[in-house]
Amino acid sequence: MTPAIETHALAKRYGRETALQGIDLAVEPGRVFGVIGPNGAGKTTTMRILLDIIRPTSGSVRVLGEDPRTAGPALRRRIGYLPGELTMDARLSARALLTHYAQLNGSRDTARISTFAERLGLDLGRPVRSLSKGNKQKVGLVQAFAHSPDLLVLDEPTSGLDPLVQQEFLTMVREARDAGQTVFLSSHVISEIEQVADEVAVLRDGRIVDVSTVDRLRAAALRDVRVTVPASAGATLASRLERLDGAQGVTVVTAQGHDIVSARLREGIPHFLAALTEADVLDLVVQEPDLERAVLQFYGTASSEEATA
Amino acid sequence: MNAFPLFRRALADSWRGLIGWALGLAAVVGMYLPLYPSIGGNPEFIAIIESLPQELVSALSYDQITTGAGYTQGTIYGLIGFVLVTIAAVAWGSSAIAGDEERGALELTLAHGVSRHQLVLERLGAIVVKMLALVGWVTLLVAVLNGPSELGLSTEGILAGGLALLGTGLVTATLGLLGGALTGRRMIAIGAGAGIAVAGYALNALGNQSSDLEWLQSISPYHWAFGASPLAEGWDPAIALLYAVAIAASAAAVLAFRRRDIGV
Repeated sequence: MTPAIETHALAKRYGRETALQGIDLAVEPGRVFGVIGPNGAGKTTTMRILLDIIRPTSGSVRVLGEDPRTAGPALRRRIGYLPGELTMDARLSARALLTHYAQLNGSRDTARISTFAERLGLDLGRPVRSLSKGNKQKVGLVQAFAHSPDLLVLDEPTSGLDPLVQQEFLTMVREARDAGQTVFLSSHVISEIEQVADEVAVLRDGRIVDVSTVDRLRAAALRDVRVTVPASAGATLASRLERLDGAQGVTVVTAQGHDIVSARLREGIPHFLAALTEADVLDLVVQEPDLERAVLQFYGTASSEEATA
Repeated sequence: MNAFPLFRRALADSWRGLIGWALGLAAVVGMYLPLYPSIGGNPEFIAIIESLPQELVSALSYDQITTGAGYTQGTIYGLIGFVLVTIAAVAWGSSAIAGDEERGALELTLAHGVSRHQLVLERLGAIVVKMLALVGWVTLLVAVLNGPSELGLSTEGILAGGLALLGTGLVTATLGLLGGALTGRRMIAIGAGAGIAVAGYALNALGNQSSDLEWLQSISPYHWAFGASPLAEGWDPAIALLYAVAIAASAAAVLAFRRRDIGV
């Protein structure tokens, strides 16, 4: 099957500045592919290349099997794009602007515009430039989804949306995937990637640090554990935990006649449980692994330290 | 009707502005031309003109001001009408690409099913239509006032003057468009459009001063347009040069815009 997006050694330089230094990506059709990374990592640059808004310095790129540089408007009609920095300052109403974009795509079907606007709670009658930031973002989302594109490229899609609308958006993404559309989205809100993405690429300084499934990221993630044992038993347990491969940052705090042993675990849960059997456990808390922290581990040396900061 | 969506959008977005320009031009034309009967043959006014420094009179092209064609040229086509048409052309030419790009709106438009050259050509088309409307309006007003204001202009002269004015507007607008297509910077686009108009006017004025500087007029679009007094003498082949430059600038804009990154 032809990948929806395929890049090889994709690089982009602006003068001396390097925005992308060799991106290899393959996004299978019908998948939700998330890109995460700090600002300036190259997420937006990659997306703009897919839309032929900017041209790569070197490397190759295929979108829906075609080269965006030469495929022309016909390819872009099959893509729905939401820019990261959305400018919505038109005097015309949201409906008129969205109809205009539909015409650019050669679409006469404006029923879907109303459908999506209703789902997101967008008033189509108001002038676009008078809308709040969140409502402008909704206009952006509607124009990306309205023509049922084969590929959705969404740069920070939920920025400015309130939580209820964010949930509706995530539902729209899942529906798109179920309908066979491919979704390529970036975010720095990792929880939303966690909720919808099948695969995640982590971008940093114009490079892909890792491509992984959410499950694998989750498995690799550290989870916080907190074990409460009787006073003076803490030191013994702590030394036992320190001998485990997957444990790090073991600390002991004495409070109210108990010792509380905290640590961070990566995998190795069975060994951890085995270590606990010999202790008199009064309370045990294992937190759900945090994808955000898993990702931040790729971002630098802060991995094992206070990555949640 | 889904043909030329960008062209139609550009026109629909700017009809308010167009009406503003039309009203402004009507006010100017309607104010100046009816004054001609009380000025053209008025000995006191002629004495004032004669008392002015010769350099100033020739710079302003007032040396023919006592004829109807000279008066219309000196007040409307060569001065205030030219200025208004130039400002409109600069505004439209620079906003078509560069202004839209700097605001950040161009990226989303180009992400849809349009090609780069289609965008340039459709927006250029809208500019041409608007310039035609504006200059057509001026031409109509002059034709209507020709009799009552005793200007004595021939139909051929009025049409030639209109084509000359339209040509200067198109040169200015297309150079603004080209500046935007090359760089995406609004100030550069404005500079390119306004620069050619101002430089053309200045070169012509300098060339009027002495025969040593006359050669400057050969590179002045303003002189191509009005050097042969089209209102009095009718069509002059040099006017065609304006259209050639506008077409060349448009073609260069299309080629330049196809090549570069947008919004960086």
